[in-house]
Order: sequence, then C-alpha cells, then structure tokens
Amino acid sequence: MEKQREMIRVQNLKKSFGKVEVLKDVTLQVGKGEVVVLIGASGSGKSTLIRCINFLEIKDGGEIYIEGKSIDPKKDLTKVRQKVGMVFQHFNLFPHKTVLENIMEAPLIAKKADKEETKQEALRLLQKVGLSEKADAYPSSLSGGQKQRVAIARSLAMKPEIMLFDEPTSALDPELVGEVLETMKQLAQEGMTMIIVTHEMGFAKEVADWVAFMNQGKIIEMARPQEIFNNPKEERTREFLNRVL
Amino acid sequence: MPSIAHLTEEFLRTLPFFWKPLLLTFQLTIASVIVGSIIGLFVALLKVSKLPVARFIANAYIMIIRGTPLVVQIFVLYFGFYKVIDLGQFWSAALALAIHSGAYIAEIFRGSIQSIDKGQMEAGLSLGMSTRQTMRRIILPQAMKRSIPPLGNQFILSLKESSLAAFIAMDELFSLARRLSAETFDEMTYFLIVALYYLVIVMAFTYVVHIMEKRLAKGEA
Repeated sequence: MEKQREMIRVQNLKKSFGKVEVLKDVTLQVGKGEVVVLIGASGSGKSTLIRCINFLEIKDGGEIYIEGKSIDPKKDLTKVRQKVGMVFQHFNLFPHKTVLENIMEAPLIAKKADKEETKQEALRLLQKVGLSEKADAYPSSLSGGQKQRVAIARSLAMKPEIMLFDEPTSALDPELVGEVLETMKQLAQEGMTMIIVTHEMGFAKEVADWVAFMNQGKIIEMARPQEIFNNPKEERTREFLNRVL
Repeated sequence: MPSIAHLTEEFLRTLPFFWKPLLLTFQLTIASVIVGSIIGLFVALLKVSKLPVARFIANAYIMIIRGTPLVVQIFVLYFGFYKVIDLGQFWSAALALAIHSGAYIAEIFRGSIQSIDKGQMEAGLSLGMSTRQTMRRIILPQAMKRSIPPLGNQFILSLKESSLAAFIAMDELFSLARRLSAETFDEMTYFLIVALYYLVIVMAFTYVVHIMEKRLAKGEA
C-alpha cells in the first residue's frame, strides 16, 4: 500500500449527547485524494463523526488534525471550515437566493473575493455539475437531485481540500440518486479527498479507496472495498452486510 | 343615542378638524413601529444569543414592558423624565409606544428566527461563514419575511394604542374627540365618530396585510 500524504487524522475522538455516548474512541486517517466511505446502521455515529470533523459538533475528547495541524475549535473554526466542504442530506440551499447567488455567497462574504471572478467560477462549477441553465432559478424550482448538485457546487466554490458528504442521496427519489453519485464520482476521479456517509453500497464498491464500518460509536473494521464486501473480518460487519446487500 | 342623521351631519361638519389629528396618529404609529422594530430586532438577537447575560437582559426587558400598563409607561417617560431630558409630547408618546411594542416585536422576530430550519445556519457555517455573517445574510432575510404578517397585526395594535397619547394632551384622534365632546356635551356622537375613524383605518390596513400574506405565501417553497 502506497503511503499518501495525510489529510485528516482523527485520534481517539469522543462525543456524547447528554448521557448517550455516540462516538467512543474513534481513530481514522485519510490520505490526500483518498475516498473513505463510512457505512453502518443508523445511530452508529457515522454522521456525528463527519459533523465533528467540520466542527458542527464540538468533540468532547480526542484530537482532530487537518493537514497535520491540530485544530482548536475556539480559534481556527471558520478557516478550517473553508478548507472542509460539507454536503447535507437535506441540501440546505438558501431559498431566498438564486442558484448562482447560493454558490457565490460564501466566497463573497467569507473570503471577500472579487465579484466578477467569483461569478465566473460559479458559472464554471454549475457547468461542471451540469446545471448551467439553472443559474438564475430559485432552489424551490429544482428537483432534489438538482438541488444536491447545486449544494455540491456551492461547497466547491470555497475551493475546499476535503469534502464531507452526510447521506447525500438519502432524501432523493430513487431515479435522482444516479446523477448525484455521478457528480461525486467525477469529483473523486479528480483527486478530491472525500469522506462519505452513505447507504449506497454499489457506489462504495466502485468509488471508495477505503470502506469503514461503524458500530455503536466505533470503527470496527476498515479495509479496501473488495475485502470488506467479499471477505469481512468481523462478525458484526458480516451481519450488517447480509442485512443491506 | 344620537340619530344616524345627526351622526352623519356631525361627521361631515367636523371632517376638516380631523385631518391634522389623523395625520398625527399616523405619525405616532409609524414612528413607534419603526423604532419598535429596531428595538425588537436588537432584543430578539439578544434572546437567541448564546450569552446568558444577553438573554437575561432581553427577558427582563420583555417582562417589565409586558408587565406594566402602557399608559403608565407613557407617563413615566413624559412626566418622569421631564426633569432629565424633555423629550416633548410627540417623542415621549412615540418612544413609549416604541419601547412597548418593541417587547412584542422582539417576540415576533425571535419566533421567526427560530422557525428557520437549523440546516440553514449549519450550511452557512460549513461554508466557512461566521455565525454573524450567516445570521445577517441567511437567517435574518428569511426570518424578516416570515415576520411581516404578525408585524402587520402589531401595527394595528400600535395604531389603537396611540390613542393613549391623548392622556399627555397630544392632539391626536382620540384627543380631538374628547375636546369636541367637552365643548358640546354631545359625548356619544364624537366618540362614535372617532371609533369609526379607527375602525376604517384598521379595516383598510387589515386588508393590506391580508394581500401581503397572500403574496408571501406564493413565494414560499
């Protein structure tokens, strides 16, 4: 196995909501350009893990390193989030802004970027996700799949080094899942570092460099997709895969 | 009970006198709603703040204002502060009304802000925008839109409450009705006439709010 430059390292991460311990000592390393897919039953802590990496949830214990640097949630928050994009299950587009404005908002406001350059970049990203003709549309007029592709373009506009996907296709009608997965696949091929929470096992097999299986707040097995799907080491991984495949 | 003919006759006769007080009532109401909205927005932001001190200040303000009669608040401002700064009649009344409606408007804004899906704040934060930037650019514009119908109702309340300014001898609508009654001893006539003025304005404004609500409903996804 070739050693990649480390992009994210999560060390002994702990997170509780009240008395419920959602993450128990999670350790995970992701190299530059790698795609890691997190699988596991609902409630196993997958979403909480990636939300912690983006500091939408603040960890109770452990360390998170981005590009080798330990992150202090009190100081580096907005800077880190500019490097780490996030795509949500429910898109969370800004309904009062057009598609183009959605994409331009963060670069203009958070980075104080040049307006014309930002616009050109936004149009380029829209073309990339195949939605050039929707630039002036409002989110309410888009299908779920289109919304999610705009959300991906919006994240990319900040030129992130890492993209996190929190069940990006779970809220979509079945016939719209493909177009979003296709966009993500393209992104993976371009060398984006990605952590993806998904129930799309076919996609995991095809695109993931690593598949991590989470159970009750722990990563209990992480391996190459063909290994984990064909020959899981852990009994609980096998049980889970038998249920979903 | 005055006859319809008498009421109509008096209504037409006194029409020219009502022009100025009517204008003053409008000025009072508009000034108090604008200033009240600024106060309300500020207090609403304190209320949704993470800082316990900010929330305490907001809650104390709302408690004191909602717990005391408006007429007392107007008197405190007009007579009480007279020796410190003389605000004059108009601004004593307008500010009292503003501080009063501000407490209610704060609750309107707080409700609208909290009604915005929390995914909106998360999206803003995840893009590297600060809490403040996301509040200003993403949450507040959506919350303001949702606040318009209840703000319309607050405007109607403020309009009616402005009649209390008569008690610090401002020449607004109600004050004129009191003067005309005192001059003629024909109290019922003038109080009914002034009631009609208020009623017509409120009905007209209710209609405007209704139209706006319909328009806004169309825009929602």
